[in-house]
Amino acid sequence: MVKSIRIPATIPFPPLLDLWEQQDEKGPDATRIYQFYKNLAEGRFTTTKCKDCGKLLYPPVAVCSECLSENLEWVDIPKVGEVYAFTEVRAGAPLQFQDTVPFIIAIVRFGDYPKNGIQVSGIMFDLSSEEVKIGTKVEWEPLEILGPGEMRRYWYCFKKA
Amino acid sequence: MRNVAIVGAGITKFGVREASWKDLVQEAGKAAFKDVPNLDKKEVDSLIVGAAQPERWAYQTHVAPLVAELLGLRPTRVVARTEVACASGQAAIRYAWLAIATGLSDIAFVIGVEKMTSKNMAISQTSMINVANREFDGPSGMTAPPFFAMVAQRHMHDYGTTREQMAVVREKNSTYGSYNPYAQFTKRFSVDAVINSKVVAPPLCLFDCCGMTDGAAAVVLAAEEIAKKLTDTPVWIIGGTQCVFAADTVNQMGNLSEWPALRRAAKELYNMLGIGPRDIDFAELHDCFTISEIMEYEELGFCEKGEGGKFVEEGRSYIGGDVAVNPSGGLLSFGHPLGATGVRQAWEVFNQFRGSVPKERYVGSNARIAITHNLSGLASLHHIMAYSIEKRKEIKLGG
Ligand SMILES: [Zn+2]
Repeated sequence: MVKSIRIPATIPFPPLLDLWEQQDEKGPDATRIYQFYKNLAEGRFTTTKCKDCGKLLYPPVAVCSECLSENLEWVDIPKVGEVYAFTEVRAGAPLQFQDTVPFIIAIVRFGDYPKNGIQVSGIMFDLSSEEVKIGTKVEWEPLEILGPGEMRRYWYCFKKA
Repeated sequence: MRNVAIVGAGITKFGVREASWKDLVQEAGKAAFKDVPNLDKKEVDSLIVGAAQPERWAYQTHVAPLVAELLGLRPTRVVARTEVACASGQAAIRYAWLAIATGLSDIAFVIGVEKMTSKNMAISQTSMINVANREFDGPSGMTAPPFFAMVAQRHMHDYGTTREQMAVVREKNSTYGSYNPYAQFTKRFSVDAVINSKVVAPPLCLFDCCGMTDGAAAVVLAAEEIAKKLTDTPVWIIGGTQCVFAADTVNQMGNLSEWPALRRAAKELYNMLGIGPRDIDFAELHDCFTISEIMEYEELGFCEKGEGGKFVEEGRSYIGGDVAVNPSGGLLSFGHPLGATGVRQAWEVFNQFRGSVPKERYVGSNARIAITHNLSGLASLHHIMAYSIEKRKEIKLGG
């Protein structure tokens, strides 16, 4: 008999090919900004603000990148923002979006950007690019990421306000 | 600071290659050593490998020692790999230059390589997301085409750049690329062909985008006294700058239609050399998308901010114009194997200065100063290197 090694019939979806964080509170995949994901799961889109220097920090972080303080608070991102730029992905999408193509990606500004606001990217579903304009008012809403298997994680997307 | 020159260069055919990452290293390495017949490769004392994501596309890490093995090198001074995504190749040249200039190294071998194509290109595209802050912009599907589509949208909105002006960039670069047999695409594309190609992410069409490509390029760098023994046509590295404005997430990027980090890197370079943008005879710029080249004219000071579209439309970035941009055919013709591109640009500069390119895309024997430029990630980091056929009497770093 020729010696052989058999590879399992299925290999678990590798995190390297998954675009969403593991979002664990504890264990090796834990993150110190776990509160961000917990808030998303509860329908809140939040970020960190430095209580020492006042800087609004997005993405949320454990240490203020401006003054290195860890005295941070969680603040809510305004519900309604304005489209700064957008496009529609019609081809060449990454693995996770093969069944979602075509879809709109927008960069939306919330609050008084850049002084006291943020600009974030996100997906808009079930719209054609003709239905969005620079300046269109949109709001964020929760997005569930289902799988692999029983896993349920949380993100956000945009819809017209 | 010692003067440093390119003394030899070689590349592989770029494209969808039926060849592994290691095969590409050997092909480019062999071509570069063949270009410097007087060099005993045992004298190479440093090796720097520009490679962006060998871990993901070739499942290999610790690549510099592997390259030493594949090319039979025994470097003892600097052995390293550089990774700054799309600028990994230029970064490798930058650090080899500094190693020689400071006296640590005498002869450095620099190779840039990337194997990007695979049976499942959606997996390759997924890896491209890692050049942005993957946790926060990845879930939006923020690969390069949609990001640069939004850059183009904003540039059109803010400055009135037209769809046609962007297409002219491809028409120009594909004309030069048609005389470059190493390029992935050697077909010429008219403005109409670009505009009528498949829409990838509006306003960008397929022919506005460079390819995901396999390829490798290598250059040999040497200190002045050694360079003269190895070649009659050394091409001198006369300066180099880089600038990042802390940004890997869209929130940090400000206005998409401006690249202040490139403006700053250009200013530093001009100060370093005591020159201005009009002193540059030709430039290999990072035309990953047609809009990128237009914005680079502006931020490098070739024209006023917002006038980049007009600049190419009026023929000012053609050979014979103010500055010949991408006489190689650029990334649009070669494709963009991330680690290879910056070194491939140096290969082009070297060949232009020694006159070994077809006359249809030769910038001419009067050319004195050239630059290469790479952006990386979501255009947050910019690298520029300056080359000349004449060595500088004195290089002062830090302006
Ligand atoms: Zn602070």
